[in-house]
Amino acid sequence: MRKYLLKRIFYLFLTLFIVATATFFLMKLMPGTPLQNEAKLTPSEKAAILAQYGLDKPVWLQYFIYIGGIFKGSLGLSFQFSDQAVSYLIGSRMGPSMQLGGQALVVGIIFGIILGAIGAIRKDTWADRLATILSILGIAVPSFVLAILLQYYLGLKTGWFPVAGWSGFAYTLLPTLALAASPLAETARFIRTDMVDVLSSDYIELAKAKGLSKFGIVYHHALRNSLIPMVTLIGPLAAALMTGSMVVENIFSVPGIGEQFVKSILVNDYPTIMGVTIFYSALLCLLLLLTDIVYGIIDPRIRLSGNGD
Amino acid sequence: MNLKTAAKVTAVAGASLLFLAACGSKNSSSSSSKATANMTMSAELPTMDLSKSTDVVSSDMLNNTNEGLYRIGKNGSITPGIAKATKISNGGKTYTFTLRKNAKWSNGDKVTAKDFVYGWQRTVNPKTASQYAYLYSGIKNADQIVNGKKPVSSLGIKADGDYKLVVTLDKPIAYFKKLMGFVNFYPQNESVAKKYGSKYGTTSTAMVYNGPYKMTGWTGTNLSWTLKKNNDYWDKKAVKMDSIKYQVVKDQSTGLNLFNSNKADDTTLSSQQVKNYKTNKNYLVRKTASTFYVELNRKDSDSTIAKAFKNKKIRQALSYAINRNEYVKNTLGDGSTVAKGYVSQDLAKNPKTGKDFTDDAYVASGVTYNQAKAKQLWKEGMKEIGETKLNIKLLSDDTDGAKKSTEYIQGAWEKLPGLTVTNQNVPFKTRLQRSQNGNFDTVISAWNADFTDPISFLSLFTSDNSYNNGRYNSAEYDSLIKKAEGTDANNASARWTDMVNAEKQLMNDQGVIPIYQKAEAHLTRTNLKGIIWNTAGTNYNLKYMSVK
Repeated sequence: MRKYLLKRIFYLFLTLFIVATATFFLMKLMPGTPLQNEAKLTPSEKAAILAQYGLDKPVWLQYFIYIGGIFKGSLGLSFQFSDQAVSYLIGSRMGPSMQLGGQALVVGIIFGIILGAIGAIRKDTWADRLATILSILGIAVPSFVLAILLQYYLGLKTGWFPVAGWSGFAYTLLPTLALAASPLAETARFIRTDMVDVLSSDYIELAKAKGLSKFGIVYHHALRNSLIPMVTLIGPLAAALMTGSMVVENIFSVPGIGEQFVKSILVNDYPTIMGVTIFYSALLCLLLLLTDIVYGIIDPRIRLSGNGD
Repeated sequence: MNLKTAAKVTAVAGASLLFLAACGSKNSSSSSSKATANMTMSAELPTMDLSKSTDVVSSDMLNNTNEGLYRIGKNGSITPGIAKATKISNGGKTYTFTLRKNAKWSNGDKVTAKDFVYGWQRTVNPKTASQYAYLYSGIKNADQIVNGKKPVSSLGIKADGDYKLVVTLDKPIAYFKKLMGFVNFYPQNESVAKKYGSKYGTTSTAMVYNGPYKMTGWTGTNLSWTLKKNNDYWDKKAVKMDSIKYQVVKDQSTGLNLFNSNKADDTTLSSQQVKNYKTNKNYLVRKTASTFYVELNRKDSDSTIAKAFKNKKIRQALSYAINRNEYVKNTLGDGSTVAKGYVSQDLAKNPKTGKDFTDDAYVASGVTYNQAKAKQLWKEGMKEIGETKLNIKLLSDDTDGAKKSTEYIQGAWEKLPGLTVTNQNVPFKTRLQRSQNGNFDTVISAWNADFTDPISFLSLFTSDNSYNNGRYNSAEYDSLIKKAEGTDANNASARWTDMVNAEKQLMNDQGVIPIYQKAEAHLTRTNLKGIIWNTAGTNYNLKYMSVK
């Protein structure tokens, strides 16, 4: 197990190194500049500003400086926010995105499981069909449409929720709902399919024959076994949700990272693009590693490595 | 929120969210007698460093939290700031400012002449990499310092004691006082700047304020902050607002929802929204000193095109062919207006009569639509140069708005017999580079004035200016601009006449083809009074703002 972990961690760093290198050189192909007022600057002024950001040095040297900086925990300075370190930018923008992603994940999974279970238990009844329709809607309706509808009806028309902004827990509710729809639908579909299989297996028949209560069967036997494959779903879902949604963050004016990432691409702020890319990669790798470890713990049939060490 | 509504929430959000929703309702009912307002901004605040501000958000925030020698008031007028008295000597090349002694920083320090010296030296210092240092051009040694050829201490600014400031210029600058109302010329507190080092101006706490308001709640990357009345401000009696809250809202439909739910008192509108809110009592159009125009390349590598663009009739035909009214109304629809000339409207007023520059310098033929005339001039012009067909390219940005513009102009121009137009929509940087290298036939350009003086526009089209992309070349125009910046610099009305004549010359020559002047459509609650908006430089001056 330890050997396996060390190997995985080594691969994690290797992946990140490759990602950093690839992003750096890709960014050099579409160079952005810290020049905000380019139309009005003279060539010598431009040169002075570029030198200030170290952009006058040859590309290979810039690369080593950049990689060296990463080891020291520095991701450079943002072009859009003057004198603002990219690591600070990511740090302060990550919080809201993580909070929304986490809440959406919890809401999505809990209600997804309930919806999926209802569908499986009441298979081929109106309840099942309703659950199916809801989950198809959840996947088909883009989050920004849902966000706009939620904002208009629950924010403006009824005044129940704050329309937009970020100053307290109440402000997180609408964006959480908008983000939760898709994981909710995905979980529901997954659980339903899985549970339909489980419910028709022999040991469930046996439990029924033994005269266990319906709730007991579903809760103790069917649901538990259906949940194991869910773990594989949660890792990528968590990564997708926590890295922030540009549209939802934009609509609700949430100071999150998703919105910032897209903006940095639009304005060629490449220290930020690179920083966020590396951060996202690290997050994804870490979540996948965690998924694998957790999976091994909860389901002993699955060995992390084939050799049984 | 009562139990009933809470019950409805349950149905929507699920039982688990009920408790949390109830918590949130506390915030919504905050009524107090204090004067507050909620404003929205369409972009983040990138910096609060006076030397590094280049964008409208930071310049608006800095202008209201800080103050220079003067403060720009209504219609670009010069109103008192830290300078109490000003003496101009040496033929307009020396300015001696006497500073008021009751001006203080928000940390209790006195605002002294040294703060100006420090702030200015910091801005021109190449190490600061200020992107507006070029505005210092004309102040003694500024250009050489920016280019690293002279030490910052040689800048033409000296403190004579704590309350006297002497500025030396290379040549008279007629608009020098207006420049003093531009945030890059404001004083900076050396001890605060040194204390925070590279963190200076990156959060609302790593900054010090000497203006009507001070900022709180800005972490450097968040989307909301507040301007609070600054009790250390020398003229605090004039400040009526207790606080002005800002929220960055990038989505205009969100802005509208916030406005309609009374959570915002000001928001900008998209062209789609303008259609529905044009008649609303809160609807307000704020003009900006930004003109969009077409440049024709007289030095085109294709000699036929160069020959054509040197022909005045052809240039005029291309201008007459564009129906600017229809274009502004149907294609843009965002409150922008038809250009009255190259210099924008509401930028500067005649020092004697108070008339707008664009009224004094109006040349109808330069910006009017007349298709019959366009066709006639086109035929005559083409005959004069001995051609029947012309293929030209129209260069512009690749944004949605720019694409719509090129399509519109293409359609208008192709109604001229024998003219085919190909559109080239490229990224902003490419457009800029190709414009400056003369690698285009026609290009849609835009210019924003830095300060409220027509020269900010007009200096562009002197024959040796590097931004004169189409190489407009008129000896008459050059000499008028030279006079305005030289011999007439100290004579306001003669200078005004020079600039009016220069604009008329440019329009009569159809040196450029002005299309429209950009504006922002707003919904601004009518109970907000005293907001001063200027089209150039810093837009907002909120010193006298109040809520009725």
